[in-house]
Amino acid sequence: MSELSVNHLLGIKYLKKKDIDLIFETADHFKEVINRSIKKVPTLRDITIANIFFENSTRTKLSFELAEKRLSADVINFSASQSSVKKGETLIDTVNNILSMKVDMVVMRHPNPGAGIFLSKNVKAAIVNAGDGAHEHPTQALLDSYSIRERLGDVGGKKVVIVGDILHSRVALSNIFALQLQGAEVKVCGPKTLIPKYIESLGVTVETNLEKALQWCDVANMLRIQNERLDISYFPSTREYTQQFGLNKAMLKRLDKEIVVMHPGPINRGVEITSDVADSGQSIILDQVENGVAVRMAVIYLLASKIK
Amino acid sequence: MNVLLKSAKIVAPEQPEYHLKKRDILIREGKITSIASKIEDATVENISYKNLHVSLGWFDSSVCFGEPGYEERETIDHGLDVAAKSGFTDIVLNPNTKPSPNANSTIVFLKNRANHKLTGLHPLGNFTIDAKGVDLAELYDMKSAGAVAFYDYKRAIANPNLLKIGLQYAQNFDGLIYSFPMDVKIKGKGIVNEGKVSTTLGLKGIPALAEELQVSRDLFLLEYTGGKLHIPTISTAGSVKLIAAAKKKGLNVSCSVAVHNLILTDESLTEFETSYKVMPPLRTKKDVLALLKGLENGTIDLVTTDHTPIDVEQKKVEFDNAEYGSIGLESGFGLINQAMGMETAISLLTKGRSIYGIEEPDWKEGSDANLTLFNPEGEHVFNAEKIWSTSKNTAFLNTKIKGTVYGTINNNKYMKSL
Repeated sequence: MSELSVNHLLGIKYLKKKDIDLIFETADHFKEVINRSIKKVPTLRDITIANIFFENSTRTKLSFELAEKRLSADVINFSASQSSVKKGETLIDTVNNILSMKVDMVVMRHPNPGAGIFLSKNVKAAIVNAGDGAHEHPTQALLDSYSIRERLGDVGGKKVVIVGDILHSRVALSNIFALQLQGAEVKVCGPKTLIPKYIESLGVTVETNLEKALQWCDVANMLRIQNERLDISYFPSTREYTQQFGLNKAMLKRLDKEIVVMHPGPINRGVEITSDVADSGQSIILDQVENGVAVRMAVIYLLASKIK
Repeated sequence: MNVLLKSAKIVAPEQPEYHLKKRDILIREGKITSIASKIEDATVENISYKNLHVSLGWFDSSVCFGEPGYEERETIDHGLDVAAKSGFTDIVLNPNTKPSPNANSTIVFLKNRANHKLTGLHPLGNFTIDAKGVDLAELYDMKSAGAVAFYDYKRAIANPNLLKIGLQYAQNFDGLIYSFPMDVKIKGKGIVNEGKVSTTLGLKGIPALAEELQVSRDLFLLEYTGGKLHIPTISTAGSVKLIAAAKKKGLNVSCSVAVHNLILTDESLTEFETSYKVMPPLRTKKDVLALLKGLENGTIDLVTTDHTPIDVEQKKVEFDNAEYGSIGLESGFGLINQAMGMETAISLLTKGRSIYGIEEPDWKEGSDANLTLFNPEGEHVFNAEKIWSTSKNTAFLNTKIKGTVYGTINNNKYMKSL
């Protein structure tokens, strides 16, 4: 039986193409499962998973929890604000305390880049990175690629533009790595202030004109402006941002092709995307959410099978 | 202290009569009594080692310990022993303590703590009160107590007028002012070099621009004010270029580079390993090459270990939360020797005291013996057993280094390293 080349899912950059293929094949199976009347399999009855979120999250946490429960794993949730950790307990101690209660796997979201990697070197459990600062959000990128594959048949050879706040986005970074690994071309688009100066060293191109970027692409992945991460003003106003980088129906109509529109959520309707685009047939935003559960089931299942 | 060094090859490029010659050196009461091809004296301790080399004692311009305030990192007493065993007979102590040295009494405290030690301690005082960058500290008074220069440790002087005033004021007493090369606004929340690596890791970057803008500003100020400016631990190719141009103009500027910035690049960071979190950050290959060249052609005056002990509690944490710094005394010689060869290494390690007005040791018979004993040959791996420091935060664990320090002689004392 094939297995993943890694024992943790810390970032897409640590995966091989065959890992992604395996995750997707496994996710295909689980997608079928979650569309049955009994949406659950008993596979991970002997596995206990801790979801540790040091940063707020609604959809990712729910998606992981659902994925875990549909695999029949035992699930515990732990939310800690950064400030409670600052009271004194280190990350390693916090997690080791939880692991002492015989937990096999940790799904962690953390505000610091590399926190998952740090943890994987210092505790004995399989780690799934559910987002670490502006570093990676691997399951999001996997479900995004899975959704492109589902809609367009294949990710290889496709042109994908990621629009918005690239500078503070772990979703952008993981997507770049995942798409390139599968042979897609990637462009990023947004105000220069929100694009890392050295982004082209990752093999992506930069476009600051949204219309031009849309003309080029097969898929547009619209990111949210991460207001909570902006330490200074990177653009004068949301209104002006929307004028330049908001995707609306008129723009889509002007294209000579039908592109696929994605968004990792949560959507700021009327800012980076208008309602009529978000709710249109070109949008696969809700498919992404559904696929998120199947892909996370696949990741957890494959990592758990390595524990055994 | 009376010893006889037997068959020691003298490394003294500035002293052709001795340079690379094997000599016996008799030291009595801490003074060089005689240097000759053969000296026999059974009444004193005879020191002989395999491939024994000897040079004037080494000097490090940027060392931190911790006392007072951070004794868990390193105490002055133990830190100076580590320096001595690592070959350094004089060190400049950074004001990285709590409280930090703002006034005459705090300088006196540091000096007193180092009394009777082999390695000479030369403290820096703060440039501004509590290193807050607002009001000048009592520079003259601190200098009178023994402060060799003035530095708000690794904090940039954000207000250019303050540096202007400081550079003018310190001229009354030939004071040396430090300015850490970092524009704090451009740096923002950056913690590593801005480049491909920071982009890949999602870590906030510090562009080379942040350093070069500050260096450039400070050199403009220096040109206007006159006086003496020291720019500690530069890290970019652009800074080397700016300082070379300023020296050509005749400005009285000196600068240093940390060993880790000479050897490592930001490529080391790929695993978020906090031992590579240093300030200024590790830069790129291009910067390393420019820094090496700058050292060779004299644009950069000093190479320093930038020894910064940090306890494990502040290092074994998430990268964002880790303290900056690496220890460096124990590995300093082995790395510089490996990278640049023995003669360049010794010439770099023995120069620079004059920038601070610290007495330069010399080879004259009758002068105080201030010497380092070493073997420049033999590659070995720098491992945990070779760390004497209280804090073990080295960026060079398991790195190949070359050469071994046998011991030091200074202040009428002899310390063996092995």
